[in-house]
Amino acid sequence: MSIQQKINDSPIEFAVQIINDVKNSKDEGVLKCVQCGMCTSTCPAARHSDYNPREIIERVLDGDLSIIEDDSLWDCFYCYTCHSVCPAGNSVCEVNQILKQIAVYKGIGYDKLYEYLGFADSYFTAAIGAIPEIFFTDIDRDVPGWWDFRQHLDEIRSELELDPPLMPPKDVIEEVSKILTITGFKDKIERIRSAEEESK
Amino acid sequence: MRDDLKVGVFLCECGGNISDIVDLDKVREELDVEFIGQFENLCSLNGRKIIRDAIFDHDLDRVVVAACSPISHEKTFQDYVKPLNPYLMDMANIREQCSWVHSDSERATRKAITLINASIEKVKQSDAVDPIYCQTPDEVAIIGGGIAGMNAALSLAKQGTKVTLIEQSPSIGGHMAKIGKVFSPVKIAEECGMCLLNPILNELVWNENIEVLTNTKVIEAERRAGTYNLILEKSPRYIDTEKCIACGKCAEACEVEVPNDWNDNLSMRKAIYRPFGQSYPEAYVIDMDNCSKCSNCVKACSMKAIRLRGKSERIPLQVGSIIVATGHKLFDMEKRPEYGYARYDDVITQSELGRITGVNGPTKGKLLKSNGEVPKRVVMIQCVGSRDEKPDGHKYCSKICCTVALKNANIIKHKYPDTDVLICYTDVRTPGMFEKYYKHTQENEVRFLRGRPGEVVKKGDNYIVRTEDTLKGEFVEIEADMVVLSTAMEPSEGTEEIAEILNIGTTEDGFIKESHPKIKPVATDVQGIFVCGTAHEPKDITDSIMQATAAAAKVNEYNYGGVEIEPFIAEIDNDRCNLCGECIERCKYKSMSIQNDEIYIDPMSCTGCGKCLVGCKQRAITVNGNIDEKIMATIKGALSKKRDGERMILVFLDNIGYTAADNIGVNRLSYPESIHIIKVISVNRVRPRHIKYALENGADGVFIGEFPGDLMYDEVERKIQRAKNRLQELGENPERITFSKVYIPYFSGLARKFNEFDAKIAELDDET
Repeated sequence: MSIQQKINDSPIEFAVQIINDVKNSKDEGVLKCVQCGMCTSTCPAARHSDYNPREIIERVLDGDLSIIEDDSLWDCFYCYTCHSVCPAGNSVCEVNQILKQIAVYKGIGYDKLYEYLGFADSYFTAAIGAIPEIFFTDIDRDVPGWWDFRQHLDEIRSELELDPPLMPPKDVIEEVSKILTITGFKDKIERIRSAEEESK
Repeated sequence: MRDDLKVGVFLCECGGNISDIVDLDKVREELDVEFIGQFENLCSLNGRKIIRDAIFDHDLDRVVVAACSPISHEKTFQDYVKPLNPYLMDMANIREQCSWVHSDSERATRKAITLINASIEKVKQSDAVDPIYCQTPDEVAIIGGGIAGMNAALSLAKQGTKVTLIEQSPSIGGHMAKIGKVFSPVKIAEECGMCLLNPILNELVWNENIEVLTNTKVIEAERRAGTYNLILEKSPRYIDTEKCIACGKCAEACEVEVPNDWNDNLSMRKAIYRPFGQSYPEAYVIDMDNCSKCSNCVKACSMKAIRLRGKSERIPLQVGSIIVATGHKLFDMEKRPEYGYARYDDVITQSELGRITGVNGPTKGKLLKSNGEVPKRVVMIQCVGSRDEKPDGHKYCSKICCTVALKNANIIKHKYPDTDVLICYTDVRTPGMFEKYYKHTQENEVRFLRGRPGEVVKKGDNYIVRTEDTLKGEFVEIEADMVVLSTAMEPSEGTEEIAEILNIGTTEDGFIKESHPKIKPVATDVQGIFVCGTAHEPKDITDSIMQATAAAAKVNEYNYGGVEIEPFIAEIDNDRCNLCGECIERCKYKSMSIQNDEIYIDPMSCTGCGKCLVGCKQRAITVNGNIDEKIMATIKGALSKKRDGERMILVFLDNIGYTAADNIGVNRLSYPESIHIIKVISVNRVRPRHIKYALENGADGVFIGEFPGDLMYDEVERKIQRAKNRLQELGENPERITFSKVYIPYFSGLARKFNEFDAKIAELDDET
């Protein structure tokens, strides 16, 4: 397939948009990418899926907006290895988060987020992020002994002479809930929830 | 009294270039001086006669030549005013900055009168001063005995200059002695490095103008008028080099074995050893840190050359110039644990591979793994520590690693065609003729993979190199039984130390900084100190030798030419000075130091910028030549002829800005007649009181221009901002002062800025 670049095309605008995003901490990092592939060579997601961090930056620099709709974007789970190894001082992990945010604004990826809504819910119920119950079986499968450990956490803590886990008091939980509601977080997750549940 | 001085003004018609626009008759009417002369070409020999006769006939004390720019003919007229002191003449630039930029005759004539009047007032403040001649001593110290230092030493010695070559290790030769083979891009073949180095080494050893001091370091340095007093420390060798015949019996007898650093610790040596076969001095040396003092060597030595009780010795050395050739070291692989260098025996560096494939190396030239087998696949990883913004990495490209990898890959392929060699690269950098060698390497069946590996792990007997093949967009795991890392070049410890001792500037990467990367590539920011080789930046042998010989040529410019310095430099009143050292801190040109309990100002590096003046609480510093008074008199002279309603803008420029302004005239662009340019030796000499006086006494605006490459640029910019703030506090409009960057080739921009500033000032005048 041949690509035509018209005189008025400005592929770099996409990269500039990423750089100007509030989440970007690496200044002009994206523009300094030389496509060396060191991110991909250390990326766990790249080893086990179609995710390719180098290609993410390549497509951003090409101005390829279709990346927003790419499913593989959701395979990154924020280990930040690419962030720490990049010789050009770039962070694909941050770029990935920015791209996902753009996707979410466009109503893309609700199905991916739906599974994680339990995290969001726990902010309202406990003012902290907690692992949603739907993941418990998977974790116990991947981390043998995890469920047993979790069941007996209080005893293990007391054995180690650690205080019981500090749970936020009720007024804090209420305050956090209020903040999340006023800032629109609540509307956002409800939007995702209802959209997903309707489509099912 | 200066007012009583007899001033003569000489007007040049410049063959109509001036007189067609400027009405010189009118100019003559307006001037009030002892004598006025006029000629069609003052710069001609007839002009000299007119000037000289008038000086004698009218007993003139000062001379103003109103003609072209001083950039063109100042030297000529300084000569023409003899027997007057050359600094008692001043030029009013009524060509480049008047007749060539203005077309309205009447206004151009007014401006010419103002410029000449400013010159008259200025020259009255001038004193007779003599240029300073400096002749530096001929002797040269070269620090570092690698390929760069050796070549610089030889070049100077062959031109008759006495050289002391100072090397901190027990032998000269440097990295080149151990790299095994070298190649040239033209020959497309690898050849023996030692065979190229040895003749240079021999020639150097036999040259009577060179003294080689090994085991020696510079520990102190002091500078005085181009003379450096160095203190060297020579560590004991514990062997009398005069007696030792390098028979090696001592080493046979020695009971201590330690890793051989010359072989990158891949083999062992004794505590008494010779660094390498061709090392110089041709003598053994004792590594006292590891010596067990068993004295077996003493018994074995038939020449009685061993001196176990050696002491280090301090040697004073006085030289006129110094060449720094202290070289590089290689990136510390401990900083990149992901490649497993410390964990895995067969993960090595290119330097170690060079030792392994070298016939004088640990395996006598055989490519063997640590288990004694020939590797089946060698993977080379490029850019280790180079082009790397991670912590401890270097942002720069180390320049030689691509070609070093190609060379070592070829060496392997020639001898072991069955061994697969794969180079993992980000870019293959083979500029110029090196590209042919790259093609040759491809023909040799060396493979290339575009990708920067993330890690090397052990799997069974082999290693796995994890990388992305970026051209395919695929993650790959490559099995290898030898991994070679192309490590970055970084400044050696000696380079860092010598920069500190000699107080020479370094780059952000720690290399010795040249005084200008384009046009002064071997000078440092300290007069009389030059740099060559990898102490300056990563480079190959060829470039090191070229820079070494260039440094030698620069030293001889000093030695044969001497240096003539304009006398407008700082001077210390020792009765007032309390040695607080503030001036030393302030001086950007590193020209001040304390010597023999007095502040010493090096005339070769002082620019007369006057930054030290402001910091001196004792008021013990003056800058020769009445600079302050001259600037003030020029301002007064310019403003004294101002008429009502006439707009007057004073522009202060140093040599660079002034040249840019001249270029506006040379290119026949124009700017308003209100612009009056005053040339100063450093823009920093324009002080707040000058600006204040100007604005209070008729100047409508003040324009200050500075070249951003000037060391004082930031300082001047801040100072102007302060002056603007001050103006605002006084209830005046700070926009009457402006600061601007100036560049010689960008004269059209300067002309535009003059026009804009004039318009701005006109607007402000209309408002008030």
